[in-house]
Amino acid sequence: MDFLRTLLSRFAALLGLRHRDRDLDDDIAAHLDLLTHEYIASGMPEAAARTAALRDFGGVTQARETYRIERGFPHLEQFARDLRYASRQLRRSPGFTLTAVLTLALGLGANIAVFSLLNCLLIRPLPVPHADELAVLRTDRNDDTRGHNYTFGSPFLRALEQHHNGFESVAGYSARPFQVHDEAANVRVPGAMVSGQFFTMLETPPVLGRWLTPHDDREGQANVAVISAGYWKARFHRDPAVIGSTLTIANRPFTIVGVMPASFVGADPVYRPEIYVPIWAEPVIDAPFNAIADGYHTWWMNILGRRDPGVSLEQANAALGSLSDGILDQSIPDAKWIKDARDHHFRFAAEPGSRGWSFLRDTFRKPLVVVFVLCSAMLLLACLNLASLLMARAAARERELATRLAMGASRMRLIQQLLVESLLIALLGTSAGLLAAPAVSRFLGAVLIGGAGDYVMLDPSLDVRVLAFVALVAILSTLLVGLVPASRATSKSLNDQIKSGSQSVHSRQHRLLPRLLMSMQVALALILVFGAGLLATSLQRLRGIDLGFQPQNLVNVRLELNKQSRDGEALVAWYHRYLDGLARLPGVKALAYVSFPPMSGAVWTEDMHTTISHGDHQLYMNCVSTGYFNTLKIRMLAGRDFQWNDSLASGLKVILSERAAQQLFPGQNPIGQSVTQTHGADGKNVLQVIGVVGDIHYESLRKDAPPEGYTAITQNTDHKPDYVAVTRIEGSALPLATAARQLASKMAPEIPAPVLTPMMTDIDGSIASERIMAMLAVFFAICALLVTAIGLYGTLAYSTARRTSEIGVRMALGAKPAQVIGLVFRENAWISIYGSLAGLVVAWFAARALASVLYGTSARDPLVLLVSVLVLVSIASAASLVPAIRAARIDPSTALRAE
Amino acid sequence: MGDNKSEVLQGTLDLMVLKTLETMSPLHGYGIARRIEQVSGDSLVLNQGTIYPALLRLEQRGWIKSEWGTSETNRRARFYSLSRIGRKKIAEETENWERIAATMARFLSSSN
Repeated sequence: MDFLRTLLSRFAALLGLRHRDRDLDDDIAAHLDLLTHEYIASGMPEAAARTAALRDFGGVTQARETYRIERGFPHLEQFARDLRYASRQLRRSPGFTLTAVLTLALGLGANIAVFSLLNCLLIRPLPVPHADELAVLRTDRNDDTRGHNYTFGSPFLRALEQHHNGFESVAGYSARPFQVHDEAANVRVPGAMVSGQFFTMLETPPVLGRWLTPHDDREGQANVAVISAGYWKARFHRDPAVIGSTLTIANRPFTIVGVMPASFVGADPVYRPEIYVPIWAEPVIDAPFNAIADGYHTWWMNILGRRDPGVSLEQANAALGSLSDGILDQSIPDAKWIKDARDHHFRFAAEPGSRGWSFLRDTFRKPLVVVFVLCSAMLLLACLNLASLLMARAAARERELATRLAMGASRMRLIQQLLVESLLIALLGTSAGLLAAPAVSRFLGAVLIGGAGDYVMLDPSLDVRVLAFVALVAILSTLLVGLVPASRATSKSLNDQIKSGSQSVHSRQHRLLPRLLMSMQVALALILVFGAGLLATSLQRLRGIDLGFQPQNLVNVRLELNKQSRDGEALVAWYHRYLDGLARLPGVKALAYVSFPPMSGAVWTEDMHTTISHGDHQLYMNCVSTGYFNTLKIRMLAGRDFQWNDSLASGLKVILSERAAQQLFPGQNPIGQSVTQTHGADGKNVLQVIGVVGDIHYESLRKDAPPEGYTAITQNTDHKPDYVAVTRIEGSALPLATAARQLASKMAPEIPAPVLTPMMTDIDGSIASERIMAMLAVFFAICALLVTAIGLYGTLAYSTARRTSEIGVRMALGAKPAQVIGLVFRENAWISIYGSLAGLVVAWFAARALASVLYGTSARDPLVLLVSVLVLVSIASAASLVPAIRAARIDPSTALRAE
Repeated sequence: MGDNKSEVLQGTLDLMVLKTLETMSPLHGYGIARRIEQVSGDSLVLNQGTIYPALLRLEQRGWIKSEWGTSETNRRARFYSLSRIGRKKIAEETENWERIAATMARFLSSSN
């Protein structure tokens, strides 16, 4: 009780400090007055009485001090005073302050930006209750070449829905843009097909209406939909009557039964569906395809599950494994397939799924980690630099600090004060870093997902985790950075040396630590420059790969005709008319249709064989129209291109790539010969080879060009196929975009507007991770060089300033300017040399870690190494020369007088 | 040296102030200091200034209260008196002290 009252009283005092002090002064004045009066009354003269009164009273100042300590929060007041002092000190040297703050902001800002990306992609769990109970299912085989498989066919889903020991619920999830009717035409809206237990699994109640349930996920019942809060706001303007209204998806009516809250994002952190429909709606959504009817042939959804409470992941995983055989038998009608699966130890498995599942994760995990390591190196460099600068600065204030120590300040107190200065710098640097970070991470995110597809979005907004990380890093760096210089500057031995004279001739040990720090910086800078050089060279080599075609000035016009009414020959005629319409534009040089443009992410393979091919060969297929090879500038090696009149009646034709021709017809001329499609739909399709073209890269830049085959769109038996019009243009793509949309809306007003993407975007997107790594590495290398240069310059400038009198003496004794330059320069020369050597050694071994991400570049490329060393040495020399030259200009007489 | 002395005296000074105010209230700082000197019979040399932190402590705890008034020499000064809580605390603190004193006495006599 007493304690509480005391605390409150102290608080009150904090707010009215002056008032309390004045009260005390009044009291003391009255007291002294009375004492004096007493002494006067006993016969003393006034002056003597006053002195006696003061003596009786004791120390007035001491009384005031003790009073002040009792009155408020002395530590708080002390801290406030330290802060004011520190800010005054920092304002007095703006150059130093700016450098220090910028250095820290750079290091921290980059780290925050990258960490928030990492957080959003790899760490942050889905915003659902008990996200740690979620698991992602996959299938394992012992011949998995491309890593684990996370896609399932619908038979597996149905079997798992019935038997899921260890799991409370299991749900399928498949995301793709839906065609939704809006006013006159169809538009693309990001959507998802989910199975019955999906919403119960994610335990997030709707804000309006109800969830989708297993009752809805049945044949004939699946014409209901749940929409997101964003879509409700954008399209329905938050009208509560949306429940029960109709949404036309893929030209069929769906009834809206619920609205999900804004915090619900589905099961994929980078894709936010606006519309959810049951899995059984798939034949409608995917028309004319039907993945459900394709059964176990088509694998098209991800499956997640929520573990039973109390069941660990290992137990659930084991339970799933034991179910595998049963599910195989239940779902697959093909005995040969089952046997093949069993031979390869096919089993279901579960892995942690609190963060949902995204295909981006696997692709970008490694590059993001590499980038994070780079960032940490950069932050370390920034801290080292800051420590050196602070150390140099504290050394410049030795005189002042020693004086204060001599006057009775405790060492703790001085260290405290210096730490507050570092704290202030850290605060400013962190705030600056925090301000810049969101923009940087958005930029990085955009590069990262550049070619990843529509509606993929990263949300690297700051959340608790990131802020906690930031705070931790900032505090740690302050303490590390500030403690060492502070304790050094106030050490007793220093004190003695100061007293002995103004020439600061320090012991070797004393100068060791700053030099060590600087050398470490130089080493780190060299490592960063070397890493950047390697990554940049690798990227250049990637960019320089001959793709087999000319990607510049190509634009992909993506059309979606699968929900409109035309089909067969009428549709081909439509496509032909559309192409002719586009060809009339002045900027269009050449154009043609293709099913899957290169590097678009899609893959279509077929097994083919011939009489002389020694078995099946896998060809990467594509369906093209006349002029495709001309548009892409692919070399025509033999035979002819397709014509518009190559109808089905004239017999199936195929054009082979050079590699395919060599594999299927070794040593022979393939023109005119026949190729058989091993798993042809109608028995076995036989195609006649009419041409051979050059190989091109199909899937990625890194993979070599595979054997390829091309069929004609005029001979495509698929229903309502979608094609991409690849267009070679001259000048801006804007007129093409307008024309494409206008023409499409005139010729088929019900289809969604065509989407235009430059070919280079897809190609850049396929090397997004390499681009990010190279970009960041180069950025950090430049920053590292800058920071190190500033550090070298700054520390040398400080130490030279302290040696002014020594230099003055030397010059007075006859030293030439060149000798002085050499004297000063030597100090940094050794730092640079030792640092570079250390850096070289570390880089030599550490570079191996990069080997797996490099293309066509050895991790020990001697040219890159040489250039890195040269760059570092020249910048270090330049930085060190400036103070050296300035030292040579010192006027000896002024220097000596300044002492 | 000076620090040590006042720390030891802190507790005793507080009790002395309370006892003084118990019998003579209200009193200003000078009056309390003079009275303490009187009662302790000059065996205690008190730095009169140390009264004020003690008075502040007691006031913060709520054991005494203050009022503004005018001193004999027509100066503005604060006059202190016991609060209700303070009155109760005197008995408590006195008991405390007597217990400590008795223990100390036992110690010192036993070592003889």
